[in-house]
Amino acid sequence: VRCQQYPPLRALQASAALRAASDEHKKEPWASSSQQHFDSPPAGHQPEEKPQGPHPSYTGQGGQQSEDYESEEQLQHRILTAALEFVPEHGWTAEAIAEGAKTLGLSVAAAGLFHSDGSELILHFVSDCNTKLSELLKKEQKLVQLGKAEKKPIDEFLRDAVEARLRMLIPYIEKWPQALSVLLLPRNIPSSLSLLTSMIDDIWHYAGDQSTDFNWYTRRAVLTAIYNTTELVMMQDSSPGFEDTWRFLENRVADAMAMSNTATQVQSTGEAVVQGLMGAAVTVSNAGTCRAVR
Amino acid sequence: VPGAGAALRPCSSRVAQDGIPQPVIDRIIRVDHAGEYGANRIYAGQMAVLGRSSVGPVIQQMWNQEKNHLKKFNELMVAYRVRPTVLLPFWNVAGFVLGAGSALLGKKGAMACTVAVEESISEHYNNQIRTLIEEDPEKYKELLQVIKQFRDEEQEHHDIGLEHNAEATPAYSVLKTAIQLGCKAAIFLSERI
Repeated sequence: VRCQQYPPLRALQASAALRAASDEHKKEPWASSSQQHFDSPPAGHQPEEKPQGPHPSYTGQGGQQSEDYESEEQLQHRILTAALEFVPEHGWTAEAIAEGAKTLGLSVAAAGLFHSDGSELILHFVSDCNTKLSELLKKEQKLVQLGKAEKKPIDEFLRDAVEARLRMLIPYIEKWPQALSVLLLPRNIPSSLSLLTSMIDDIWHYAGDQSTDFNWYTRRAVLTAIYNTTELVMMQDSSPGFEDTWRFLENRVADAMAMSNTATQVQSTGEAVVQGLMGAAVTVSNAGTCRAVR
Repeated sequence: VPGAGAALRPCSSRVAQDGIPQPVIDRIIRVDHAGEYGANRIYAGQMAVLGRSSVGPVIQQMWNQEKNHLKKFNELMVAYRVRPTVLLPFWNVAGFVLGAGSALLGKKGAMACTVAVEESISEHYNNQIRTLIEEDPEKYKELLQVIKQFRDEEQEHHDIGLEHNAEATPAYSVLKTAIQLGCKAAIFLSERI
């Protein structure tokens, strides 16, 4: 699963740059963090190294057993995950992060590790949701491969995948508009865009897309539009169980399918017309030759 | 408050299934796919003009090999989940125009175009092979095998072109330089976009 790698490396870069930038954020208050990871090359080199600490499987959730070696990114991960619980109440803010840190037994100053607008928290959440979606899709794919489930037709697959992903927003739906606006900040756009594109790519991959031509782009663009518009509709939706949103989604997916069918038809019609014209041209030229011969 | 360090860029330490870094394989497959796609279109253009001439069968045979190459890269592209270059529609047209245009200069013109393009492609594949061997020949073993085989076949096409009097084309060196410059630009762009 590709997107799983995001959070630790991001936090890794963030924390390495933080240490370069200022000395205030020393890790002394948190005895469990390890220094060794970061006495190494500057932030510029980080992307080339594989994360040296244990893989992002969150060893020791809150436990201290192996935690002489909890790296900073794992710690940040734990704080952000704990903070999500407080988002419905406090929004995507430093307060939520502070509360999350408190539940882990850390000082509220831990919130100082992150931006005050909650960017990292939101990106962490989005990345988390994408990972969950990937795992869900992978599981479904396995079931189909084992013959335990029917392979869904494409429109149903896309609909279900988008719905599953959007349902993850439901607990945070009140505060999600705020999150969307933060994701659109210029500073966050590269990350939020890449999270979005990799999620859409994942959905198409599991839907069985094997295009290697320009269709690759067309399909992803169409699905991105469907996802974004449905997300916006969901923000305004007050119907029970968001049924208006799901109906909107169904209609948009149906539109997309119809559009692609129309495109295919236009192409075959065009080819047929061309052949007809060529045939007519040949006939005319033959007729002319015959007349000349006579 | 933390500074701008949190660039939160896409993780470039992603790895594909066999431990090959994704960005590396991305570039290689994308540009090679674009190259084979373009070569296909060039031969298609040449066949459209010279299909019924005496060199028709020769060009057709080279074209068939290119089709196989493209098929292989299509498979690799799906297997490694690589994005195709966004310039494909452009290479579609440009390749056909180059093929047809060079064929309109006559059979020697078409062969000159073949020589120029195949030389560029062979050089490009050689560069890739060199890079991969320097990196880690074990890790990239399969890919190296594929690229080496294709490089050998492109070299054959190059030699066939020479055998068919490519060098006797009027303005041969000008034509060759121009085409090879175009190929270099195409390679540069397709790796990135």
